[in-house]
Amino acid sequence: MNTPTRTSVKVAYSLAGGALLILAAQLIGQFGLAGRAWPPVMDVVSYVTTPAGASLLWRNTLVTFSSAAQGFLLGAVIAVLGAALALVVPIIRPGMDRFAAILHAVPTIALAPLLITTVGREDAPAVIAALSVGFVMFVTMASGFANTSSAHQDLFTVIGANRTRRLARLELPRAVPAFFDGLTLSAPAAILGATIGEWFGAPMGLGLVIVSAMQNYQMALLWAAAMAATIMSLLAYLVFIQLQRVAMRRFT
Amino acid sequence: MTRARSIGMGIVHLWPIALLLLSWDAWVVLNGYTSTVAPRPWFVIADVFTGFADYVPSILYTLGMALGGLVGGTLIGFVGAVLVWWSAALSGVVTPAALIIRSVPITALIPIIARIVGYGDPAVLASTMLICFFPAFVFTLSGLAAIPEAGRDLFTVLGANKLQVLSRLGVLYALPNLMVSVRITAPSAVLAAMLAEFLMGTSGLGALFSQARSYMDMERSWGTALVATVVSVLVFVGAQLMERRVESRLT
Repeated sequence: MNTPTRTSVKVAYSLAGGALLILAAQLIGQFGLAGRAWPPVMDVVSYVTTPAGASLLWRNTLVTFSSAAQGFLLGAVIAVLGAALALVVPIIRPGMDRFAAILHAVPTIALAPLLITTVGREDAPAVIAALSVGFVMFVTMASGFANTSSAHQDLFTVIGANRTRRLARLELPRAVPAFFDGLTLSAPAAILGATIGEWFGAPMGLGLVIVSAMQNYQMALLWAAAMAATIMSLLAYLVFIQLQRVAMRRFT
Repeated sequence: MTRARSIGMGIVHLWPIALLLLSWDAWVVLNGYTSTVAPRPWFVIADVFTGFADYVPSILYTLGMALGGLVGGTLIGFVGAVLVWWSAALSGVVTPAALIIRSVPITALIPIIARIVGYGDPAVLASTMLICFFPAFVFTLSGLAAIPEAGRDLFTVLGANKLQVLSRLGVLYALPNLMVSVRITAPSAVLAAMLAEFLMGTSGLGALFSQARSYMDMERSWGTALVATVVSVLVFVGAQLMERRVESRLT
């Protein structure tokens, strides 16, 4: 009965809180409380509205977005296939699990020398993004596949379904919510991976802009590029969380 | 007998690593790469063992920064979650802030932190803390939300105030979740520390890596990558063990 009013109160609190945070950021910048490196928010906004700033940011955002999206697709597809393979061929499962955990623990920065010699500077961002996405997807899919009840398993065995049919009819549909969970978690990971890759001498991209703005003390540009990356990551997260809600309603 | 068997199985399950080492070696040899392009794995491993004394200070620095950030960030996340649980008005400020912090790629955050607090230890520590903050916040909050109504009612009837509910009941539900967040963020903390060190180039494994790269010392730079991987895996395994201990203690 009182749930609608409670959600609207929550939204109002969040909006007020968000406005308060922006105001605080503006004031910290205006009075120079954090030094020259924290510009007033209005300075950053006015930099973004200049034609030169807008076009620089837009071009680099597109580059980062396309690397992140490529890596996201590649990582998600490989991880889902890998998890399905580990399910159908149980003997390789413990090895794959352990390998995925180790791969996840590898700091992606450590893979940079390997990737630059193998795939080159241009493609390294997409591959690093794919690796970051791949682990998250593999783990969520593996637990999603394992989520079937033994009664269902027995039913399928009794009816005489073979391994692949059980995968298609039972485990894949059951794993759909986990799939969307994984997508929600890995969207920011893809953007992080792409920007890490760009630190290692990619010709364009937000990661490159951020580092060069930092080194040249262009604070408005640094903050604007950081905000662009943040907004991209936030939007990806919000889009996938909506998709996840729809999927949850359909499949559970 | 069973112990030997389980160790044997553990080794068998490491097949992807053996495969990786062999294919790395084959890849270098078959392409005829010289050691300035890509070194063979055995030379990298040899460099790690012979020059281990050079690695030790960097390992200790990165490990210290990662663990310090892990503990600090987790504590701040825990406190933030308790504040949100405590008061709806505070949640209005903390929730959007947490959502934004969650979405900022650490690569965008480190340069800003480095400019604000200056190159050096505080910037590395602040970066690792920020990356550990959000998971701790979310997991604590979901733990506190899982306190059953009956438990709260009992505490209210017995006349407990909010602080007592928190310390007697909330902690019981929040701690296992908090340990999950520690396990999840442990490798990220090592990554964040290394990224910050790489960018600022002052000390630690990230700085060692960036120096080796600029001197074209391929064995050292791949060796750093290898050592960083081992450190990160060990931190992860340690966090996993701690999670299990806390869980078996509380449930």
